[in-house]
Amino acid sequence: MTMAIASADTRLVHAVGVGAVEWLHAERDRFRLEPDADPETGFLQRFKPIGELALIAKVLFREGVSGSRQTDLARKLIDHAWREHLDGGRMLVRGQRTEPLSPIPFEVYLPFRELGYHEPELERMVELCHRTSSWTDREYTPVRRLGLSAFENRYGLLPGVPLPEAAERTWLGHRPEPWTVEGHTGYDITHTVFHLTDWGENPDGLPADVAEYLALWLPVWLDDWLDLKRWDLLGELLVVDACLPRPTLDARAWAGFAAAQQPDGAMPAIDAMPEGDPDEVFDVVYHSTLVAAFASVLATSRALALLSADPAGQGPADPV
Amino acid sequence: MDQSGPTTRLSDAVRDLAAQVVSALRSGGHSPVGGAFPPSTGDDEITVAAVRVLGADTLLPDALSFRPADPAAVALVARAVRAFPPGASPAPTTAWSHWAMAGALRRLAPGSAEPGGSGEPGGATAEPDTAWLEYAPWPVLTHQLAVLAALAVPGCDSGIARVAAARPVDVARGFVRAVRRRDWLQAAGAGRWLTLLDGVPDTLGLGTGLEFVGLMGGTDPRVVLHLRAAGLLRTGVPV
Repeated sequence: MTMAIASADTRLVHAVGVGAVEWLHAERDRFRLEPDADPETGFLQRFKPIGELALIAKVLFREGVSGSRQTDLARKLIDHAWREHLDGGRMLVRGQRTEPLSPIPFEVYLPFRELGYHEPELERMVELCHRTSSWTDREYTPVRRLGLSAFENRYGLLPGVPLPEAAERTWLGHRPEPWTVEGHTGYDITHTVFHLTDWGENPDGLPADVAEYLALWLPVWLDDWLDLKRWDLLGELLVVDACLPRPTLDARAWAGFAAAQQPDGAMPAIDAMPEGDPDEVFDVVYHSTLVAAFASVLATSRALALLSADPAGQGPADPV
Repeated sequence: MDQSGPTTRLSDAVRDLAAQVVSALRSGGHSPVGGAFPPSTGDDEITVAAVRVLGADTLLPDALSFRPADPAAVALVARAVRAFPPGASPAPTTAWSHWAMAGALRRLAPGSAEPGGSGEPGGATAEPDTAWLEYAPWPVLTHQLAVLAALAVPGCDSGIARVAAARPVDVARGFVRAVRRRDWLQAAGAGRWLTLLDGVPDTLGLGTGLEFVGLMGGTDPRVVLHLRAAGLLRTGVPV
């Protein structure tokens, strides 16, 4: 037996996402690429924010719990990213030509493709690269390998490593001692869950033993990273909660997360908002703000689903 | 002359006392390496206060049948019980640790002085309240249980033990929280409780966790005392 964990007010959860999308839209020009990047840094380095934006926009459209303004802003944001930053897909081709065997252009392209954008030349390159042994045998961390297999699966390619095997190789797949978790393992946990559930679309993708493990120990990690004011990881852990069969929608964690959000919707990554050059500030907080939108949409959706499944208003149940 | 303040002297005395108990637990009841029990602090009042802080664990080697009830230890605990009565409306943990000491005396040395508020023998034996703990959030539950870890003794039934037995997952979460926060004393106290509970999740990795706490926090004899107790509980000890 455990004591039930109080659930957050759905209006508060929803408002976090509304604010985050407003900020992301206002800052849309800062999702910039750097075509003349130092070769040491690499041209592909700045693709990651755009890829994450597309993934999360897709979640937002899919869940259908956003207001019309939020949906409209997200659509404008994704259009802007495709047309302006990716130059209608040409920048992805350029990235692939710069580093032909890199998976990054493919990973960024996938959510755009799922949202209806196309770049045929990139697709030809992806399909060729996928047939090489070098693509399949490239060395990755287990969670990154799982992500690539999941993306290959979504794209319609045969995963280089089958998904169950890739999942078993991850830290979370082994269900290690929960008291050993550190910041970097925290991100490994969250991304393993993102990939196994197709970013929250398919909660059944979590193996039952992993879901049970997370239901046991996630409350501790939420408590920990809330007190550490690590908002980016806390937000990702709130996404994990929303992916569980019985989410807690932890009221204390959500209240702390919402309180950290700035009036303009930005979510600091750690502790308070940084100050300084706006581009540099964006680079620090774009990820935590995207995560805020992601967590909000998914948790709102789960809260509404639980409400409709349980009209008596019992809400989410004790997770164990 | 000792220039340290009373708080430091008390915490030093508590550590010395805990080290003596650990030594007795290790030696199987033979005279501990550290010398006579209780350790001499040069200040009788400090020694009695240290016994009050360590509570019933002062008699743990006796309770676990590692030695015949040591008259010196029993007398000292009886003095501490009389010298520090819980007062009219004590904090719940104060009331319970007092109850635990009195209970240990009753079991080990029937007829020894018991608390009656006035130091009279045959004081009240009624359990204090557990309502404050039954519905406490898991971090609070674990913290309070760790403070009362002297009650985590096989065969020592109490309202606190029943609350702990009903919430093994919450105590396990609290153990994880304490380790993550490097609060080794709390982690050791929670771990000691967990060794007594059914229903602790396997994925906790309790055995390795206790060893980890020992490696990281084992310079504190109070931590070692809980871990030693937990080790004995895990392997089964006569009571």
